[in-house]
Amino acid sequence: MILKIFRHRELYLMLLPAVVLVFIFWYVPILGWIIAFVNYKPGISLSSAEWVGFQQFKSFFTQSSDYIYLLRNTLAINIGTLISNLFTAFVFAILLNEIRLRFFGRFIQTVTFFPFFISWVIIYSLSNALFAPSSGAINEMLVEWGILNEGINLLGDPQYSWGLMIALNAWKHLGYNSVIFIASIVSIPSDYYEAAEIDGANRFQKIWHITIPALIPTLIVLLILNSGWILNSNFEQFYLFTNGTNWEKIEVLDMYIYKYGLKLLNFPYATAVGIMKTFISLALIIVVNEISKRATGKAVF
Amino acid sequence: MKERSVGGTIFDSFNYLFMLVILVLMLIPFVYIISYSLSTPSMMKGGLILFPKGFTLDSYKKAFDDPAVLSGVFISVARTIIGPAAMLLFTSMAAYVLTRAELIGVKFFRKFFVFTLYFSSGMIPMYLLMGYLNLTGTFLVYILPAVISVFNMVLIKTYIEALPRELEEAAVMDGANHFLLFFKIIFPLCMPVFAAVVLFDSVNQWNSFIDTQIYNTMSPNLYTLQYVLYNTLNQINSLEQLKVQGQTEIGALTPQTFKMAITVITVLPIACVYPFLQRYFIKGLLVGSIKG
Repeated sequence: MILKIFRHRELYLMLLPAVVLVFIFWYVPILGWIIAFVNYKPGISLSSAEWVGFQQFKSFFTQSSDYIYLLRNTLAINIGTLISNLFTAFVFAILLNEIRLRFFGRFIQTVTFFPFFISWVIIYSLSNALFAPSSGAINEMLVEWGILNEGINLLGDPQYSWGLMIALNAWKHLGYNSVIFIASIVSIPSDYYEAAEIDGANRFQKIWHITIPALIPTLIVLLILNSGWILNSNFEQFYLFTNGTNWEKIEVLDMYIYKYGLKLLNFPYATAVGIMKTFISLALIIVVNEISKRATGKAVF
Repeated sequence: MKERSVGGTIFDSFNYLFMLVILVLMLIPFVYIISYSLSTPSMMKGGLILFPKGFTLDSYKKAFDDPAVLSGVFISVARTIIGPAAMLLFTSMAAYVLTRAELIGVKFFRKFFVFTLYFSSGMIPMYLLMGYLNLTGTFLVYILPAVISVFNMVLIKTYIEALPRELEEAAVMDGANHFLLFFKIIFPLCMPVFAAVVLFDSVNQWNSFIDTQIYNTMSPNLYTLQYVLYNTLNQINSLEQLKVQGQTEIGALTPQTFKMAITVITVLPIACVYPFLQRYFIKGLLVGSIKG
């Protein structure tokens, strides 16, 4: 065996950088979880910190009621995003398939796919340009036409936060999410449609009885698999759109961890919240993977 | 030509109308900022515009005279070139090794990598680690954590496994070692998958914003273009605030066109590589869905 390992030394050498880097940047920080269990403060050494056990974990639920609004915001926005993303892509793919002009359909697909590749900072900039209360183009236009007396503060008013986050996500991901549905539609055998035509089915009947049923399994698989990630938010998005006036409806777990860790420098508490989030997420992923395996025979692992 | 019913025609009309609405929703934001960035500030009266008013390139000249913007472009370009190059070299080497079923421990190494796709330590331990390694406030903080992309590793591994084995057997007969075998035989064959992963990695590097915010806020010389844009937006928003409160006359400063210009400059590289991105991405997604 040693001989065999020696014979493959070049292969191990080629693997070495990857192993070292993954170890340092993924496994070593997991050791850093220990600070969630000690009374660690910046400036003192870890070894002299006092062991406090699960105190930080408990205080998330007992010290304040923050967890109520955090879980509410995180779940509302992420579940809303998941459903709206899939639903819009589903409908869009079906309607796009009915476009007879080939080049027009392709053009639409090209345009809708583009926002997937732009950064959240750009989307933040675009949102500012269009929706800012006093200088945003849409508000200026509506005020000028006399439809509104003063601009709607979409970016700052908490009552719009959930809707805005969900809508921006749908806008960014419409093209991307629809690709997989379009591929499923293309793979429907054309004799199904031909047989339906012979039976005298019109277009609505073909959509209703052939296209939609053929897409439902894809929809269910995507819904199940993606629901494992509902505690994880895109941090860049929430960092950019959370502000002093809308935070009560937009602050999510990841933002809270950032605030307590890097702004208030309470590392043990922020790490403890992060650990709980990681474990609940992992459990969710395993559960939905199992459900998906049983229900549809498709699974990630 | 198929016969068309009245219902079908009405449906078609509504469908085309619907698609036009989608087009408008997707394109208007971009058309608006491009037009705004090319307009003369004093001619802007507010509201949505679709064409520049008083065409001028002044705001772009101003942007490229700004040392912060220039430095941002430099840092963003640097990380967009160095990051994907390093990623490709080390990730593809590891992917190749993982395809060698005869290697002792290869199953362990596969699990070792794939585990990281589902489990991460979180922001705070990562932040402390970067501080501990003295990477905070350095350019390397953009590069090192991204050298190994396990997701890309899986893609490349799958691609190599699909290559015909006869090609390498000939090379092994000639006594080539694994370095030579990989770089001379396998590497050139993998160009299609390499092009795809490098393209997406470049887009990710170009678009990254939050790593600057977390690790490098104290080092303005390391601000990426995305971060410079973010700072500009915030400064202008606070000026706006003062204007609303009647504390300052913003007319002279009028950086609205300036922020639009920086936004356009930040999107432009993505728009330029977009045709390639779309082609590779749709192909990649379809391959993934067939396998799934």
